[in-house]
Amino acid sequence: MAEYKTEPLKSWKKAKELRLNYYQNYQQAHDKGGLRWTGGAWAFDAIPAGLGRDVYNITGEPYGASIAFDRSLSTECLEAAEAKGWARDLCSYMRNYWGSMYLNKYAFGGEYPKPDFCYQDHICCSHAKWYQHVAEYKKIPYFCIDVSVGPYKDLTENRLMFVVNQMHEAIEWLEKTTGRKYQDDLLIEAVENEQRSTSVWAEVCLLNMAKPAPLDEKSMYSLYVHGTLSKHSKEVADFYEELRDEVKYRVDNNIAALPNERCRLMSDTQPPWGFLKVFRYLEQYGAISIGSLYTFGLIGLWETKPDGSWAPRKTSMQRGETITTRDQALRILADWNLAKPEWQHFYHPNLKTEMMMQIVKQWKLDGVMLHLNRGCEGLSCGIMENRLGIAATGTPVMTFEGNMGDEREFDEKRVMARIDSFMETLGLQIQKTVATA
Amino acid sequence: MFTQFFNWYEKRHDYAREWLAKTGGEVVGCFCSYAPEELIYAAGCLPVRMLGSHEPQDVTEPHIFGMFCPFCRDVLAQGLKGRYKYMKGIMISHSCLHLRQSYTSWENHVPVDFSYYLPFPAKVQTVHARPYLKGEFAQFKEALEKWRGKLIPDDSLREAVELYNENRRLMREIYALRHAPDPPLTGLEAMVMVASSFFVDKKDHNVELKRILPELKNRKLDRNTGARLMIVGSEDDDTAFIKMVESVGATIVADDHCTGSRYFWNSTEVNGDLLQSIANRYIDRPACPSKDWEERTRFPHILKMAKDAKVDGAIIIQQKFCDPHECDIPMLRKYLEENGIPCLFLEFDVTVPLGPFRIRVEAFLEMVGEEDLF
Amino acid sequence: MGAKFIKVLLFKDGRVVVRTREEAGFEPLAAAEKAYAAALAQAGVAESDVQNVFATGAGRKNAPRAKDSITEVSAAARGINHLMPNVRTVIDVGAEEGRAVKCSATGKVDDFAINEKCAAGAGSFTEAVARALEVPLEEFGRLSLQSSKAIPMNAQCAVFAESEVVSLVHAKTPKSDIARAVHDAIASRIVSMVRRVGINNDVALIGGVSNNPGFVDALSRGLETNVTVPEHAEFIGALGAALIAGERSN
Repeated sequence: MAEYKTEPLKSWKKAKELRLNYYQNYQQAHDKGGLRWTGGAWAFDAIPAGLGRDVYNITGEPYGASIAFDRSLSTECLEAAEAKGWARDLCSYMRNYWGSMYLNKYAFGGEYPKPDFCYQDHICCSHAKWYQHVAEYKKIPYFCIDVSVGPYKDLTENRLMFVVNQMHEAIEWLEKTTGRKYQDDLLIEAVENEQRSTSVWAEVCLLNMAKPAPLDEKSMYSLYVHGTLSKHSKEVADFYEELRDEVKYRVDNNIAALPNERCRLMSDTQPPWGFLKVFRYLEQYGAISIGSLYTFGLIGLWETKPDGSWAPRKTSMQRGETITTRDQALRILADWNLAKPEWQHFYHPNLKTEMMMQIVKQWKLDGVMLHLNRGCEGLSCGIMENRLGIAATGTPVMTFEGNMGDEREFDEKRVMARIDSFMETLGLQIQKTVATA
Repeated sequence: MFTQFFNWYEKRHDYAREWLAKTGGEVVGCFCSYAPEELIYAAGCLPVRMLGSHEPQDVTEPHIFGMFCPFCRDVLAQGLKGRYKYMKGIMISHSCLHLRQSYTSWENHVPVDFSYYLPFPAKVQTVHARPYLKGEFAQFKEALEKWRGKLIPDDSLREAVELYNENRRLMREIYALRHAPDPPLTGLEAMVMVASSFFVDKKDHNVELKRILPELKNRKLDRNTGARLMIVGSEDDDTAFIKMVESVGATIVADDHCTGSRYFWNSTEVNGDLLQSIANRYIDRPACPSKDWEERTRFPHILKMAKDAKVDGAIIIQQKFCDPHECDIPMLRKYLEENGIPCLFLEFDVTVPLGPFRIRVEAFLEMVGEEDLF
Repeated sequence: MGAKFIKVLLFKDGRVVVRTREEAGFEPLAAAEKAYAAALAQAGVAESDVQNVFATGAGRKNAPRAKDSITEVSAAARGINHLMPNVRTVIDVGAEEGRAVKCSATGKVDDFAINEKCAAGAGSFTEAVARALEVPLEEFGRLSLQSSKAIPMNAQCAVFAESEVVSLVHAKTPKSDIARAVHDAIASRIVSMVRRVGINNDVALIGGVSNNPGFVDALSRGLETNVTVPEHAEFIGALGAALIAGERSN
């Protein structure tokens, strides 16, 4: 059945190393007199970078996902959070994270390393509340930036300045809290790196337009994650450039992620991390998920060309703009992040349906699988309207219910049965012999 | 004494239609209690809060995933069922994600002439929220003016602020009467008084409030007050529930709901710029949990309210799946209990199972009562 | 291979030869063998004469004798199309799952919805309440037709709904009104799901719960359209599987 050649991704090893270093650096930060902070993957992490080169963070969502991936640890953590009275339907990353904190267990070995401060931004109903509780439980200082300014298409100076003003406030707070002198040159460097890593990640995703696709979404999860850990760092920006070159090589040489690619799909929202085998299951049918608004648009930054197609967003460096002041850096950082595709549907589901349909068109997809993710009210917000909108275009779409971080809410048998039904509607049958990458 | 309020509450649509016929204005549906109603009122419109109808329904599943709160689905159902055909405008101030979906699905599926998404700071605790919100109010005001085809004069806005302030002041005065050893009004009456204020012209509402206020001061209810309870939590206009609680030996004497005290607690203090003053009022009001960070300002506020009303216990209710309240409740419960206020927690749906809830409430009342023995 | 019953249908030259049914119980595979053997015996057909066997339903992948399987969704669309080609919405309600399928004039699936887990167990729930009220299941549906009183009941969650039933019992509500409230609540959950694919006439109801007149009545009211229940409605999935088995053996 194999029609295309395939080979393992060379960047794999580097990706693994980088991730492990990240969690170790955080754990060991105090040994070298450094600082550590905790907050979300959406936080403006370039800002604390101005406190010095020895400042390390852990971001809560990927940390919660790492716990979810280890099902027995996750169950322990979730139960610990429930024992404190928290509702089972709250964000499952948050409950995993809190559980790890209560149990004093670090998912990467040892005790939960106490952060020096919490620093966050507020995008959904839980984001600010998450670290409000970490701060009160660990008795550490906390600062959170509010980004409730509406969709990017309607951005005004008043709205942008609300974010920028809070960023200035955050810097003053960081100086006061840590007693360190803030270094604008480090901020500028971080802002440039962040633009580079998120724009290059978009280039990687764009290469997945190729048929056969050089990457499948399951692999992309292990790669995009760096952008959720430390998008402002030079290491991540450099790594993404290496990765882009390798993916380009794969495209040029027709190297497929799935040798029997017959059907191209996209998913939506975070996957059920304990059940990534959903993606392997699809492969039996020759179906591949080539990405999603989530993998493309949480870390990737894009711009729309006059013909409506998506292209990687041009960085300030590419536009020839030199950043010289703190204010300029913060304005660029705020504007850049507010343009994040995955941010827009918080304001209106139609914005997301439009973006998804652009992906369907541009990446030449045959169908869409929506994960009704009970673990994340943010990315599930408006998802049924997305279903209606996509179905109205005649694009095949299915939903399956699950939870990114709480496996107790995933009914494996029913989900697989539903996938079977969807595959049948797409006219696909299981291919008896399957070669996997 | 409260008949008029009950009528308004139950016949909200009749009232709105009559208001339209009488004034020639427009009705604007507001999806969150952070809507700057003074601005809408000054534009010659009747702002009404969108609430549900507490009936099971089968029309919202295609629009809102089942993990979002029953309230937001109940609200949307009202539009999908065509109950607001007379309403030409809708707006929302940046709210929780749940309610935001009622608004966006309404915009997608229920025809309206005017729809406005008002960005509103979630971090009301930063100094930057004030100028930001003033700017957003200014932009909203312009949009209203454009829709209505006429400018909103400062005098109209000032009058609207005074009218709203009077309404707030009167309701607070009536709430204060509940501190008496035998409150002259029940929790049910208080709930309907506030909820009806969402639907009627504040001019009409104020007339009625002023009529009952002197009478209330001398009113003796033919019932035992029993245990004094406060009720705290998500959106709540569940009259069936509160009626049940007050039928088993208790009286609700205080609340912290966006459909209750949070809605009217503070007034606009006009000081310099009018729009800025209005914005400050919304920033300074008792917070929804989704806007209560980094500091938890709700807790001391609720405790003070509990102490002022000398409550024996608190019922904490939560709309199922309500994330903002779920992020507060365990800590709030701990805080209140540490401060000597026992709590009963209940999860609400569009309808509540009154039988099982009655048993829990009765058990709670026995527990609260027993404390006096020792 | 249903959650509650195993159904076997033998199809030859464009018509159904025989239908047999066995309770799945604890040994669904043995039950399937029994139903299969009974079907052959009743039809007087030797096993070697059976050209092809397809399975569908919850246990389809473990079905004995079956050479292949198709999902309940495709089977429902195909089966109903054979009997009633004008049907565009087929609703399939069994013991554990409810499904709505939008199908084309040729019996192809255009869209489908399956209940999310909070709304699962329509058939089982009715059974549980019937048992609690000490009414035989067959009576339970008819009983609700005697009631003209709508009592609102929480439709979102079966656990909440069950506690509401308890309240109604305590309040000495007549059994017929409780029966109607239960059917209305379940129908409301199914209607919610059907709305996801749209209510396109004609509408047919298949699956085990279609035997319950109380449910059919509640569903028709909820959908505000006439719902047709074909003869042998719980065999429609098996019919669809047989039709596809026939095609694939050629």
